[in-house]
Amino acid sequence: MNGMKRHFSMAWRNIMRRRRRTLITAATVAGGLLISLTFTGTADWSYANMIDTSAKMGYGHVTVAPRDYFESPTINKRIHNCDAIRETVLRDGGVVDAVVRIFGQGMFATASKSVGGTMIGIDPAHDSAQRNVFISALKEGKLFTGADDPEVVIGMKLAEKLNLHIGKKLIYTSADINGEIFSGMARVGGIFRTGAETVDGGVILLPIDRLRHALHYGPQDATLIAAFIDDQRRAPEISSRLATRLRLKNAEILPWPQTQAELAGLISIDHASNVLYQFFVGLLVAAGILDTILMSVLERKHEFGVMLAVGMDPKKLFLLVLAESFYIGVLGLVIGGLIAVPWYWFMHQTGIDLASYIPEGYDAGGVPLETVLKMRLYWESLVVIMAGVFSLTLAAGLYPAWKASRIPPVESMRGI
Amino acid sequence: MDNGPIIKLENVTKVYHQGKINVTAIDGFSVAVDKGDFTALCGPSGSGKTTILNIVGALDVPTAGRVTLEGNDLADLSRTALSTMRRDRIGFVFQAYNLIPVLTAYENAEFVLALQGMPERERRARVMEMLKEVGLEGLENRRPEELSGGQQQRVAIARAMVTQPAVILADEPTANLDSATAASLLSIMEHLNISHGITFLFSTHDQRVMDRARRIITLRDGKLAGDERKG
Repeated sequence: MNGMKRHFSMAWRNIMRRRRRTLITAATVAGGLLISLTFTGTADWSYANMIDTSAKMGYGHVTVAPRDYFESPTINKRIHNCDAIRETVLRDGGVVDAVVRIFGQGMFATASKSVGGTMIGIDPAHDSAQRNVFISALKEGKLFTGADDPEVVIGMKLAEKLNLHIGKKLIYTSADINGEIFSGMARVGGIFRTGAETVDGGVILLPIDRLRHALHYGPQDATLIAAFIDDQRRAPEISSRLATRLRLKNAEILPWPQTQAELAGLISIDHASNVLYQFFVGLLVAAGILDTILMSVLERKHEFGVMLAVGMDPKKLFLLVLAESFYIGVLGLVIGGLIAVPWYWFMHQTGIDLASYIPEGYDAGGVPLETVLKMRLYWESLVVIMAGVFSLTLAAGLYPAWKASRIPPVESMRGI
Repeated sequence: MDNGPIIKLENVTKVYHQGKINVTAIDGFSVAVDKGDFTALCGPSGSGKTTILNIVGALDVPTAGRVTLEGNDLADLSRTALSTMRRDRIGFVFQAYNLIPVLTAYENAEFVLALQGMPERERRARVMEMLKEVGLEGLENRRPEELSGGQQQRVAIARAMVTQPAVILADEPTANLDSATAASLLSIMEHLNISHGITFLFSTHDQRVMDRARRIITLRDGKLAGDERKG
């Protein structure tokens, strides 16, 4: 048996001497792995969900918008040649869809009441429930079909405020690019409910061509083009690629963290606190592992003393104890993996319904929250977590290993 | 046989600090052990026998005095050099056998040779021969818990002998054994001493060991109380 093989063989036999303790320690490692996977998986799922929802609320994951539009949004800032730009955007391999939208502020009134809010002009030919949260959140009625359709879709809270129902009339008023006031009348064709009170109480959807005409925009003008990508984490990379490809003079291509800065900030803070929380959980798990390994080392002080007495190099003894931590780490990952697979499957497919814990109308930065908590793990996160938990186990074994290598061999001569 | 001193202790003193109390275990002890000697260190419990073995075996350091092994002053050697010296030049036999419980008889006997980095084929030949010599043929694959006390001590002797060290230090090697087993083990050690020329230094208060020893050094209260050579 060569040196390393002997070390690993001895280490395995050593940890198998006390199977129950080894299993409990490995279970602690497995618990740490599960906690970390759950925290990261649920956070990643929530972040991805919020980002996707936010993207579907108007700006997409990547936005082609007039320069400085997001610093001071106004209807006078607009992009031209929308169809051509959209076609170029769609040619990018990372982009799965792109839609043209117009954003504007307006007053919405009935005979008795009026409310201020946002008008979003969408193209019903291209927009769908997959790309538009308002369409997917339709609770009553249907989406208009084109510019000639005299209908709008409004939020449920707005409907309540203005006492509107399907088929009722609504007057929308705003100013065009020349500063002239315009008004339009439409019937309520659909009512959506996202769950976010600010959104449900102040957004209406109109056919883009009708809004274009009312604002005196050109036939290829719009506020922005919202691009949807396969993985929101690639937004910066795809943005810069599109910027190079499009080379637009008066427009810029922005990834979601720039167009939805409030959400990006919330996610950053949550992510940082999640990492900190996991760090402390990791410390507790490591302390538990360290305690067990240290105890097992101190129990074998005499045995280690004999090994040193007969000439074992203290460095090799250090490696022997570290190899025991290695096996405990591997066992922990295997046990954790066996539990994590069905757990992840359940959490990814079904999840836990937290509706009773989340207040009605609760949102994060204007983005409605999904009440069913699910998990989504990226491969990179999985690798980092497994490597982190394994390294933590090895690190927890460092002190006991060092302690073992420092045992005075004279201990061995003291008879048991 | 070369009869020059292989072990030399000069004015060795060892003081242990137990809280505020200083306990003198060895007090100005001097002795020289010749190569090939079969020597017993005798004396009542607490007389300092094990302390002497610890110091000679480079497991402990004296408070004062000088210890040389094969002409090397142990005080001049680094921790690693002392470890190498223990591995290559000294064999230990302990009162409580001190085998490694997770290793088989074969692996225990092989352990130090593996530490030395000896090739496996050579190691195997040597270990099998040694196990045969100590009467453990056929028991190679048993773990210590599957062996009797006498068999475990034979494995310990095989582990100490297999490297062909210059010196074997044995701390009360027969203390836990019945008369027949003790006699058998002493015969094995005596045979190895004569056939391989290895120096043996025992600590004992077992009359059976003293009867077989060719030299008896007596300790009392950490001091030399007698040094008798037989024949």
